[in-house]
Amino acid sequence: MAETTWTPYFEKMKQALAGLPLAGLSTLQGSVIGALQQRLAAAGSAKIEAFGAEKIEKIVLASVSGESVQLGLCSIIPAQGCDLPIFFSRWVEDRGGVGMYVDLLPTVDILVDEPYRVKYIEPLGPDWERFANLPGIAPEEDDSLRACCSIVYTAAAMLIEREGMRLAALAPHTDYLKHYIEFYAAAAPAGTAEKREELRRKTAAVRQTLRGHVTRVLAGPAGQGIDPSASADLPELLF
Amino acid sequence: MARVAFNDMIHFTEELVDRRKMFEGLDLEPLETYIGMDTRPAWEFKTPLASGFYKPFVLKGSDKIEKITYGELHYMGRVKYCALNFTAGDNYDLPVFACEFDESAARLSITLDFMPLVDIAVHPEYRETYLDPLAGLWRKYRTIPGLTKEGRCLLQRRYAPWPWARATLSHYPIDGRVEEPQDRQAVLEAIFDYAQLWLDMMKKAEPITDPAYKQEMLKRKAALQKYYRDLDPGGEVLKKIFGEEKKNLFVSLIF
Repeated sequence: MAETTWTPYFEKMKQALAGLPLAGLSTLQGSVIGALQQRLAAAGSAKIEAFGAEKIEKIVLASVSGESVQLGLCSIIPAQGCDLPIFFSRWVEDRGGVGMYVDLLPTVDILVDEPYRVKYIEPLGPDWERFANLPGIAPEEDDSLRACCSIVYTAAAMLIEREGMRLAALAPHTDYLKHYIEFYAAAAPAGTAEKREELRRKTAAVRQTLRGHVTRVLAGPAGQGIDPSASADLPELLF
Repeated sequence: MARVAFNDMIHFTEELVDRRKMFEGLDLEPLETYIGMDTRPAWEFKTPLASGFYKPFVLKGSDKIEKITYGELHYMGRVKYCALNFTAGDNYDLPVFACEFDESAARLSITLDFMPLVDIAVHPEYRETYLDPLAGLWRKYRTIPGLTKEGRCLLQRRYAPWPWARATLSHYPIDGRVEEPQDRQAVLEAIFDYAQLWLDMMKKAEPITDPAYKQEMLKRKAALQKYYRDLDPGGEVLKKIFGEEKKNLFVSLIF
């Protein structure tokens, strides 16, 4: 069987992340990143890196490539009290297609908090409309994740029919990440105790939903072959 | 694409409310005054450009309903702007049932949703109680041609020009544009099914007992209503036809 050439998810995302003042982390939450990478690699090959930065609690970028599927994940969790959204990107690629999701998940109620929506969410509107033209564009299937989404998330289940489609599906991920990096400079601590409490409460709720979501993803075909202990650790590490 | 003549367009109220007996078993009475406005001028109206009605009701002897409104505005014998809204009273946290149904010769534009009154990311129990029961209907009706087109499911995009409006939607909206007559009828089925689910929930609803939660809910409800009443693009058309006062009345009854 011919070896599969997977889309360079990890490399492209890492390139985009270089726009942040990153500090590489060898351990995160008690996990040695290198050891986790070895356990993830039981499925084939794996890459995982973690970073810290000012205003950011953690950034985790991971990909696991097996014989029949590649899984890519990237999360950025803002530091407590900082008003940045949560970045999350999910990439599941097999020989026939790509399932993907990318978003800047709000950490406040964006119906009520218009300035936050204008600052962090609405600038992605034109790109969100542009990516609506991608084949297979569709609402995110996980109901609990969809309940936390921003109004500009992009998700798709794309059948790959010709060369170039995989890279086209990757474009929203690097594009949204670039927006996040642009927002980083303007990110600020919450101005009031009430807003800090809102950020704390919503960030905790969204992180819990995201942990559940990634756990379900890993329990499906995308987690095929991954060591169960690594599958259990990865959602915690990401969120 | 089939064009639909005005006379062949869907008789929204007749088909949904009358023929399907949407409110059978509910003791509805007309709502004569709403937020300080006499509603009677909305019950039937006619100008050289437009005619129609918005009929608001409450539930007799109950505080569960702030308003149930249905109505139609027929514009120049070309377009029908129809609406159905169920808003619970302030002691209840039921989502706002909202339906905009705008039919022209070329297409039907629909937005149908249970708009949540709390942030559903923070309150998963709200989502499970009031919204997740829609999951099956949402998955069924999102396949209506037009909402799904050439393998792309375009829900959550009809309000693309208005981010504030998208922020009001739940994660189970039926929204978009459909063209063919049989697909327009399928949309009517979706509206009826969503409405029945809401009315069933309303019958079982209990008043809120937590004051802090109630305050949070009312803050979001006020923000939601203010957005639509101040910024809905249909409001500008209503203002041109009927003037400021009636526009305020009509949009308040619809939202």
